[in-house]
Amino acid sequence: MKVESIFERLPKKKITRKGFLKLCGIGAGSLMLNNALFKFAFGKEEISTGRTVKKIKGLHDLVVAKGDDPYLMTMKAMEAIGGMDKFVKKNSVVLIKPNIGWDRTPEQAANTNPQVVGALVDMCFNSGAKRVNVFDNPCNDPKRCYKNSGIEKIAKEKGANVYSPDDWNVVKARFDYQSPMEGWPVFRDALECDTFINVPVLKHHRLAGLTLSMKNLMGVCSGNRGLIHFDMGIKLAHLTDFIKPDLAVIDAYRVLKKNGPTGGNLEDVVDMKTLIVGTDPVLCDSYACVLMGVEPLSVSYVDYAVKHDLGKGDYAEIAKADILTIKV
Amino acid sequence: MKKLILFRRLSQISFLMLFIYLLWLTPHAAAFFKIDPLVSVFSLFSLTMLAMTFIIGRFFCGWVCPLGTIIDACGIKAKNRDMGLFRNIKYFILGLIVVFAFIGIQIVWIFDPLVITARFISLNFIPSFTLAMDKAFIFLIKGLNFYTPLYDFYRMLKLSILGTKIFYFPHSFITLSFFVIICGLALITKRFWCRILCPLGAIYALTARFCLLSRHIDKCMHCMRCSINCRMSAIKEDSGYRKEECILCMDCIYDCPDLATKFSWPIKNTAKRSGSEGSISRKDFLFLIASSFLFLGFKGREGSAKKKLIRPPGVKNEHEFLNKCIRCGNCMKICPTNGLQPAIFESGLAGIWAPHLVPEIGYCEYNCNLCGQVCPAGAIPNLSLAQKKEQKLGSAIIDKNICLPLSQNRECIVCEEHCPVASKAIKTYEETIAGKKIRKPYVDISLCVGCGICQNKCPTRPERAIKVLP
Repeated sequence: MKVESIFERLPKKKITRKGFLKLCGIGAGSLMLNNALFKFAFGKEEISTGRTVKKIKGLHDLVVAKGDDPYLMTMKAMEAIGGMDKFVKKNSVVLIKPNIGWDRTPEQAANTNPQVVGALVDMCFNSGAKRVNVFDNPCNDPKRCYKNSGIEKIAKEKGANVYSPDDWNVVKARFDYQSPMEGWPVFRDALECDTFINVPVLKHHRLAGLTLSMKNLMGVCSGNRGLIHFDMGIKLAHLTDFIKPDLAVIDAYRVLKKNGPTGGNLEDVVDMKTLIVGTDPVLCDSYACVLMGVEPLSVSYVDYAVKHDLGKGDYAEIAKADILTIKV
Repeated sequence: MKKLILFRRLSQISFLMLFIYLLWLTPHAAAFFKIDPLVSVFSLFSLTMLAMTFIIGRFFCGWVCPLGTIIDACGIKAKNRDMGLFRNIKYFILGLIVVFAFIGIQIVWIFDPLVITARFISLNFIPSFTLAMDKAFIFLIKGLNFYTPLYDFYRMLKLSILGTKIFYFPHSFITLSFFVIICGLALITKRFWCRILCPLGAIYALTARFCLLSRHIDKCMHCMRCSINCRMSAIKEDSGYRKEECILCMDCIYDCPDLATKFSWPIKNTAKRSGSEGSISRKDFLFLIASSFLFLGFKGREGSAKKKLIRPPGVKNEHEFLNKCIRCGNCMKICPTNGLQPAIFESGLAGIWAPHLVPEIGYCEYNCNLCGQVCPAGAIPNLSLAQKKEQKLGSAIIDKNICLPLSQNRECIVCEEHCPVASKAIKTYEETIAGKKIRKPYVDISLCVGCGICQNKCPTRPERAIKVLP
């Protein structure tokens, strides 16, 4: 093709002032329309003041189950605290939030034991739940975490929805009081559920001391989560107050004692064969601290929560609390 | 009833689809490169392809090649011109590749049609397609409040084929424009690339020159229709044809008003042999290759090639890596974190489009050895998981002026939290400042594998306080 022929094909119209202004107008108009369309489609921002919650009390403050089968332990512990029917109503939506943070196998104890999650899903459906969601916002590649932790397989078999949360489906947190977590994006599904069951795994964490139920709530946050680590105590306590989980099930079947939260060495894993169930997240956390031989108030978020009356947590409170220990 | 052309189109489209499918679910993407004689020179599959070409002719170009299919589609409306002796350029390109191979520089990655297509599909087509799908779903779900059933379907897609992460390659417009130019050349004349430039076509042409299946005309009326229409201008004006140029597109069978054209196996007295006039002579080609030995003097600076970028796990020698890598983009497609990116000029001209890890986009997943598994050229060694975990990609260093605990006494150590090494390559020490205990990080270089997750997750912006250097 000759170069001249290309030029010949170009329109030979002259550009008038009127035509030029018209063109500018059309251009600007279409850009504005485009912008408006994009804002309509992708720019919706919602604000939430947290979950509205019906404070359900269990038969005991804490139930601690010991045994060899995590599935049975979960079943029995839930029965002892009053049964799942107490927490899950018919046709309700349940969110089970395990710790699936790392691309590790169940034996390495960096993620929640899949049997515990499986038992909870089973019980929720037996109590008539319409829908059970299971998700976490993993630190490694979600697909690999879900697969290697074994949770995706077992939860899907039992009929739960296992998915990776979407960064665009979030709401901004709003607090009644001054909070460093103000405006933090939280996944919508964490708030739009009737029952929130928090299923952390007990393990070592260098900064926090221990990873417990309150720390596990970081998994419902989107955004640059590394920043939560600064002033972690206040932020996690406020986040707990924002989410208000109904039930905490702390899996301490296999416990990572060192090099947490990722782990990887099987020598660092200890079999404690314990499961802690309770309705007060702070009490659960401080009991788990005692179990690990850590002073509860040395864990920054427990300390902050106790000081600001978000829950019970020091040694005296634990001694007073109604704790039932069962053997399975 | 143009049955044969219908078959050809079906075959072309299905092979293109197969190619995209294989690249999408990358684990078996190397299969297409196994049958490519330019990439895997002496593999069993490529030799089989050459043997088949020797029997049938250049069926690969006309019936299989995905780039050929796309170029055909681009050139549907284009005029057909006889490009004359320009068609010999491809032999010189092939010669150039061989010459450079002798002096130890691999330039197949610029010219191989399968590599060009694979790179386009992996770096441009699939990311933009998934992005468009994702945005469309978000528009439907969020914009139109279409939450439950469609949302579940979207989530299922995300955990299966769509991927939880929309891939993004910052410099992919370069691969895109390269591909668009090659396809756009088809507007000048049909199959411009295949006729004039393609070195893989040249290999097949050299093989097909004496192939068994050949074209015969019973009673030629010299209407010249086939000659004018031939997309490879393989048909000469005297109704003979250049066997090495014919890609068996079967157009001429239907162009012939008497349907006198046939392709058949040789029977005793065959029709006129195609002459080699207008084609490259064997002597010239061999001369070109022989002259390559003159360049041998330039070799021997291997040791000077320094590693400037973080290469995929298991790559030891930068020079060897750049020579083996064909820049097909398989590793960048499969890398679960999107961390492997094509380089531009960071490692010189020889390193264009070779993969390197950009930790700020994505880190190297500790429990993953996929890039080595999918590499068709063996540039990234195929390591077992245990071996891969021991590979050192680089090592992390902390910038004390930016790091939150070290410069501002704030709690952080996100890097230590994420470090995947079982006994933590990032260690901490405690310091009490104004009554407050602060944990501060330092790197144990002997344990660090350089995966880059610390840099990826470091919360400081815009500069990260911890960086991985090769």
